Amino acid sequence: MGSLKKLVLALLCSMLALLQGFAQAADFVDVLDLPAKPSALAVRSPLLGIARVGERLVAVGQRGHILYSDDAGKHWLQANVPLSSDLNAVFFPSARQGWAVGNDGVVLHSSDAGVTWHKQLDGRQIGALLVKHYGDLARAEPANEQWPLLVAEGQRLVEQGADKPLLDVWFANDRLGYVVGVFNLILRTEDGGQSWTPFQDRTDNPQGFHLNAIASTGDALYIAGEQGLLLKWDTTLERFSAVQTPYHGSYFGVVGKPGEVLAYGLRGHVLRSTDGGSRWSPLQTGLQVNITAAVVDGHGRYRLFSQAGHRLVSQEGGASLKLLAQHNPAPAVGAALAADGSLVVVGSRGVHTLSIE
Amino acid sequence: MGNIKQDTMPVIRDLRDFDRCSGNRLERWVFNQRPLFMLLMTLATLVLGYMAATRLELRPSFEKMIPQSQPYIQNFLENRKSLRGLGNSVRVVVENTQGDIFDPGYLEVLKQVNDQLFLVEGVDRAWMKSLWSPAVRWTEVTEEGFQGGPVMPDTYQGSPKDIEQLRQNINRAGIVGNLVASDFKSTMLIVPLLDKASATGLGINYHQFSRVLEEQLRDKIEFAGDSAARQAGEEGTGKYKVRVIGFAKLMGDLIDGLIQVMMFFGLAVATSLVIIYLYTRCVRSTLLVVGCSLIAVIWQLGIVAWLGYALDPYSILVPFLIFAIGVSHAAQKMNGIMQDIARGTHKLIAARYTFRRLFIAGVTALLADAVGFAVLMLIDIPVIQDLAITASIGVAVLIFTSLLLMPVALSYIGVGAKAAERALKIDTRAAEHRGFGKLWDLLDRFTTGKWATGAVLVATLMGIGGFVVSLQLKIGDLDSGAPELRADSRYNRDNAYITSHYALSSDLFAVMIKTPAEGCLNYQTLILADRLAWELQQYPGVQATSSLVNAVRQITAGSFEGNPKLNSIQRNQDVLNYAAQQASVNSPELFNNDCSVMPVIAYLKDHKAETLDAVVAIADKFARDNSTADRQFLLAAGTAGIEAATNIVVREANRTMLLYVYAAVTLFCLITFRSWRATLVALLPLVLTSILCEALMVAMGIGVKVATLPVIALGVGIGVDYALYLLSVQLHHQRQGLSLADAYRKAVAFTGRVVGLVGITLAAGVVCWVWSPIKFQADMGILLTFMFLWNMLGALILIPALSYFLLPRTSLTRRGAFDEPVVQAPPVPVSAADRRHALTTTE
Repeated sequence: MGSLKKLVLALLCSMLALLQGFAQAADFVDVLDLPAKPSALAVRSPLLGIARVGERLVAVGQRGHILYSDDAGKHWLQANVPLSSDLNAVFFPSARQGWAVGNDGVVLHSSDAGVTWHKQLDGRQIGALLVKHYGDLARAEPANEQWPLLVAEGQRLVEQGADKPLLDVWFANDRLGYVVGVFNLILRTEDGGQSWTPFQDRTDNPQGFHLNAIASTGDALYIAGEQGLLLKWDTTLERFSAVQTPYHGSYFGVVGKPGEVLAYGLRGHVLRSTDGGSRWSPLQTGLQVNITAAVVDGHGRYRLFSQAGHRLVSQEGGASLKLLAQHNPAPAVGAALAADGSLVVVGSRGVHTLSIE
Repeated sequence: MGNIKQDTMPVIRDLRDFDRCSGNRLERWVFNQRPLFMLLMTLATLVLGYMAATRLELRPSFEKMIPQSQPYIQNFLENRKSLRGLGNSVRVVVENTQGDIFDPGYLEVLKQVNDQLFLVEGVDRAWMKSLWSPAVRWTEVTEEGFQGGPVMPDTYQGSPKDIEQLRQNINRAGIVGNLVASDFKSTMLIVPLLDKASATGLGINYHQFSRVLEEQLRDKIEFAGDSAARQAGEEGTGKYKVRVIGFAKLMGDLIDGLIQVMMFFGLAVATSLVIIYLYTRCVRSTLLVVGCSLIAVIWQLGIVAWLGYALDPYSILVPFLIFAIGVSHAAQKMNGIMQDIARGTHKLIAARYTFRRLFIAGVTALLADAVGFAVLMLIDIPVIQDLAITASIGVAVLIFTSLLLMPVALSYIGVGAKAAERALKIDTRAAEHRGFGKLWDLLDRFTTGKWATGAVLVATLMGIGGFVVSLQLKIGDLDSGAPELRADSRYNRDNAYITSHYALSSDLFAVMIKTPAEGCLNYQTLILADRLAWELQQYPGVQATSSLVNAVRQITAGSFEGNPKLNSIQRNQDVLNYAAQQASVNSPELFNNDCSVMPVIAYLKDHKAETLDAVVAIADKFARDNSTADRQFLLAAGTAGIEAATNIVVREANRTMLLYVYAAVTLFCLITFRSWRATLVALLPLVLTSILCEALMVAMGIGVKVATLPVIALGVGIGVDYALYLLSVQLHHQRQGLSLADAYRKAVAFTGRVVGLVGITLAAGVVCWVWSPIKFQADMGILLTFMFLWNMLGALILIPALSYFLLPRTSLTRRGAFDEPVVQAPPVPVSAADRRHALTTTE
């Protein structure tokens, strides 16, 4: 009888322990594993990148928010996103295929023009990718001193975990594309993101500066980076070669058309080149704040935006910039031309639509 | 009055005919040694008066006004020292009413204010912030790295170039909305206060501090020395305005309010003098009644001071109540004595007769009042418990002053002959259906079927209507600003100005995140803090949130050349450490010294109960889902957090208190009346008053809060007095076999004037609170006045009407055993069984 009592007691105790276990709070769920939550505030919260796909605009931002609008930015819907990392950039090379990148080395892909997204890559894999890729190369070319260094870099990433943000993404078509990030992080895909190849060995960036943006002018592909770093895709060398510019502050982006390119960055600096990057001339902005976004408008003019919400428009065919009067300055991080010709700017306060002037 | 007893208390003109040894032991002891008794009373009054004069202080305590054992409050109190940002600081705003802040004149005035405040005792100078503080800096990312400097240029001379430089610095420092108003017409000085003044080591004297602000800053700058205008509460007409908010200022204003309320006591005394004089038309007895009640107040204050209690905005109201209750009891005593004297009884014997008739009745009534106070002990808020204790002391004191001292003193001085005759004549006239008799006749009609039905019907309709309205009763404070003060007070006007011109509201709700040391820098902790902030922001009542996360994100972006894409929480611990180190310099309030406590603050659009409930629900769910042993999410700090906790306690207390007070009063009535039907008759009018009181609260926009809890208890506890007076006499007569109409007629003729007097004196005691600058006192004044008066009306009209239905003669004659034909001659035994005798035969 006594032993039965003990058994019952033990059973009760274990049940109690189980219950307590259930009552305990859930373990920490990493942002990479926590789907983004729908929120009415998303449209007014920090958004960091915007792109156009057909008639649609797609914007990405903090907490894994991806929004899309089919009426030039008037109404927005929130897309399904499997993670809640801060997203920094989005790009659509074609009518349906699109990619978004963000913190924690995240690469997301959508094949329905931005409504649903799935993860192709995150920072937990990037280190291993580097180790494998450059390890193979090191074994193939034992004499090349570059490879062990890059293997070591990859190992550091493995140890540090998913802590390297990707800052921009660009695709030539549905298959070939690049993602860039801090400390010279760059990966290339040739199969629409199924597999990624580390590309650090193909940049003229010996000091490992951040790669802030990647953009095409139609006739050339540029990467804008830290401390005056500007790279241009060299088709013969098959690498991003350094372009010399007269400015040594950081660039936040490039914008251009065939035959013309503008690089913009820290403290109001904008430089222009019309000969593919050989010679650069500064454009006066009169601003001391960072220029953080640019887009070509429906009339072929450049529109530039500052972190404090200043707006600039190019005149004389791009030879100079004019500061526009600002009524309701909204900090800008990204800008896109909507289907109706209006400009839609995103930034720390969400979406702002600027009417056609 | 006293008719019942005339047969047992014969008129004795000569003292020699009176048996000194008659009466109970207490009576013999007191009246046979009158000089000794008076001497003792005088001594006690002197000692306690001295105590009251020397030891009593005004000390409104923030901690005493919050429910100490509520878990949220305990969390707050435990971590209080770690919450620098929610600590004790004052915000001073200097406004240029005729221009903007880019005006050398304005900046000069601002400098004066800055320098003055810097020198005020108790200011934590190191952390003071204003445009003139060197610690207020701008920073900027340049090609070479960070660049920065003080917002006020080092070389400032007031030239247009300097002003332009300042304008630029303000913009790049990002202080618009916090130190600089969004319309550039004013700037703010943030003045943190020390827990203890460095020079004296004592806690800050808020009153002193507040006066320094008023007299040294506001008088000079806003009023150009015209302190009279300032004291009148007007706005200054000068070019500059000084606006001050913060806990210290609020406390200072509360103390000013307390002093003002003390002045109202004089008003209450004057009103009582007039009422008693109108009632008695005798200067001597009027002064005596008021004098005895004042002695009660002196005793009460003396004992309270002796026990170490201080006066706060709640306990300061006790003297008013004690005075009013004292006056009503003393007036009854005097009424009895007056009639005996008018009939020719010697004044000493008249006093003894009155003592015999009324002592136990008085104790019973006071006991009922004490029940009202005692249930307040159940509320876990120290100020209310103090109120219960100090008021109970006051009620106990009244036994000595109003029930003993008053008749003894009357036995010496007697009453004016004319007044005595008049007292008798009023009753004679009433008996002849003239004078008051007309009113009594009107009330008598409520014992008839038609009138009773009408009255009960009307009361039922009012009850239903009141109930429907009362369903909208809200919990908590409903106005914006500091709830302690009136919405149109200078403090709240300043608060409204600051809220509308600066980015953030003053209703802060904080969740404390508690970790081991250095834990707040942990990536996961920061991510969770960010998620919590985001969850809170989803509720529309939350305007914004702020925590270390905001600073970390910003500083991280800054260290990446201001790149907005790096406005993020990085996993890299070095990045986080750097950000936190920077944050500790710029905004040390975001976490404590060892980084183990960090608040997530939500700025709420208001502090209405539904806003607070919703925020609490969100935060509580998040805390339950995410708290672990090493990372606890603790509710709640900040003004709104404390208010949310208080609301939770108040909501609970409101229900339980109503339950207890009605249970106590029911028990009381059952013991006194020995009839459940009579108990119902006594209670239903009180229930109606309680319902209508809630409806009145809805109509006046008063929510259920700490201050209304005592009102509800007192309204019922003191309100039942009327029924005790009226119904006990009526029952006595009914049990003797009289019809309801006759019994009520006798009861109302007998006690009607006293019921009226009690209602009016009680109301007069509390009505002047309505003018108090302290809002909750005004609310209490309105509600208590309503309850005292309405209970009086309810008793006079509804008792006969309800008796018609509930107390037909048959229901009582069955209980013949309890019929007491005539009360026996004294001595009146002081036993529970006989308490009813005394009651039923008094008044």
